[in-house]
Amino acid sequence: MEQIKDDIVDYLKANSFMDNNSVLGDNDSLTQNGIIDSIGLLELMDYICEKYSIDIPEDMLTPENFDTLEGIANMIIKLSK
Amino acid sequence: MRIDAYISEYARKTPQNIALEEGTNSISYSCLDTDINAIASHLTDFNHCRFAILAESSMRYIKMLMAVYRSANIAIPLPIEFPRFSLEKLLDTAHINNILTTDTQYSRFGEGFFERFGTVIVLSRDTSVNILRKNIETERNNPELRLVLYTSGTTGTPKGVMLSDRNLVSNAESIIKVLRLTSSDKGALVISPHHAFGNSIINSHLASGGSVCVGNMNFIASVFNLIESDVSIFYGVPSTYRILLKYPDRFKRSFAKVRTAASAGGGMDKAIVKEMKELVPGLEILPMYGQTEATARLAYLPAEDVDEFVDTIGKAIPGVTLDVFDSDCNPAEINTTGELVAAGDNIMLGYLDDEIATEKKIINGWLHTGDLAQKLPNGYIRLLGRKDDLIKIGDHRVNPREIERNIEENTEVSKVFVVPVPHELMGTAISLLVIPSEGTEIENLFSFCRKNLPGYLCPREILFIDHLPLSENGKISNRSIIEEYKHVKANMQKVCS
Repeated sequence: MEQIKDDIVDYLKANSFMDNNSVLGDNDSLTQNGIIDSIGLLELMDYICEKYSIDIPEDMLTPENFDTLEGIANMIIKLSK
Repeated sequence: MRIDAYISEYARKTPQNIALEEGTNSISYSCLDTDINAIASHLTDFNHCRFAILAESSMRYIKMLMAVYRSANIAIPLPIEFPRFSLEKLLDTAHINNILTTDTQYSRFGEGFFERFGTVIVLSRDTSVNILRKNIETERNNPELRLVLYTSGTTGTPKGVMLSDRNLVSNAESIIKVLRLTSSDKGALVISPHHAFGNSIINSHLASGGSVCVGNMNFIASVFNLIESDVSIFYGVPSTYRILLKYPDRFKRSFAKVRTAASAGGGMDKAIVKEMKELVPGLEILPMYGQTEATARLAYLPAEDVDEFVDTIGKAIPGVTLDVFDSDCNPAEINTTGELVAAGDNIMLGYLDDEIATEKKIINGWLHTGDLAQKLPNGYIRLLGRKDDLIKIGDHRVNPREIERNIEENTEVSKVFVVPVPHELMGTAISLLVIPSEGTEIENLFSFCRKNLPGYLCPREILFIDHLPLSENGKISNRSIIEEYKHVKANMQKVCS
């Protein structure tokens, strides 16, 4: 769980969505905080699908599953099983 | 007549009818009218003053916009997808003393951002109004000015388009006719309401007594759920449809009960139309064309002609006259290329604080669109590119020279050239050709773009070159840059193989 969150934060930092020194809480909104927009979310989705070898069904593309680190990590765990 | 007056009228005639929806919330015309009055009551002591609106796409945004109208002031919605840096640049030139914002945006941008404003009013989620400070200054504005919309996409110095009540009402009425909107229609607003297209969805549905369902394009499941909540008209730019078509089964299910899928902001290509028609045979597809300078809409392609004429913009909407002018400003013959011009009550008052640009754009009452065009024998109009260097990226009109200058001025590089490249979902994205200087780091360039440009302008790739991409006659143009890019790519493939 923590590993997945770290991976996502590393991705966001490596791709300059956020600064190296900034901190992102597990339940902070990615969209409302201006970290990522709809085009960026598509990129993040592609990264997650490839990195964890999962397909994300479209009905899981909700704010609950995609707008926070906690939501994303939970979704990945659910889909990896 | 002002746009907000329609809301008052329906608040009297059909008070219980739903005006706006957002997620599980909805509001009737009667309640919407009351909320608008409550916000407007804090603005009535301003006399035709400029109010920036900084708000996410939401019912709150629409309430604030209508409250500025109702208090007879001037609304200036800020393009919220712009990075902070671009917004600050825009505000430096726009002379705006007052701002209305949401608590969400207030905490996101922080107190410092708002220091430049004499008046700061924050609206919380329950629509309670918090006046942080109020400083009423006398302003001199064009007496007809009601709304300033920023043209989408530009990154250097976006132009503010000045619109009047007459502009807004006439374009809303034209759109109502073209889309046959009635009080039973529900429109889906998932594109930005801060630009011309989104703004026109709000105006035309509220002026016909129907409703608007407010969302965004961030989360695909939410978009499909929104469409399935009995939306009768869906609006999107071509890339909106490309993204949704990635999920064909769900698309089919979601659009089964939708009457019309309307588009604007860029040409719909044959492939999108074909796929949509195959998935949902009964769906009416209605491509439209317009410009912010024309409030929103100028032309539409009647649904029955979509198969045959999807490569045209069709014909003028009611109330608009379109023509194609030659270089002497005389009407061009059929099948002869010239510049598309437009006249009608929807043509803007001019650009905000920029008379020189206005005089170049509106000549003898004709809006010169900058689009090269030909009239076809059946009266339809085909576009053939731009007179200037502007390009469409992710359905936003952008000036590549401004993007280049912005990157050159703010990073360690010698020269930057923007190349439009095909993109699966956006239609067109950009890559960069860069002549490096000492200290040029690709990572820093990417990082600058990500932070300071909207997502659709983040480059797909950055390639180094060592000479200027000149054409044979020694000039730099989009064409010569694209040629150079192809050349670089071809060489890279040779090296790889």
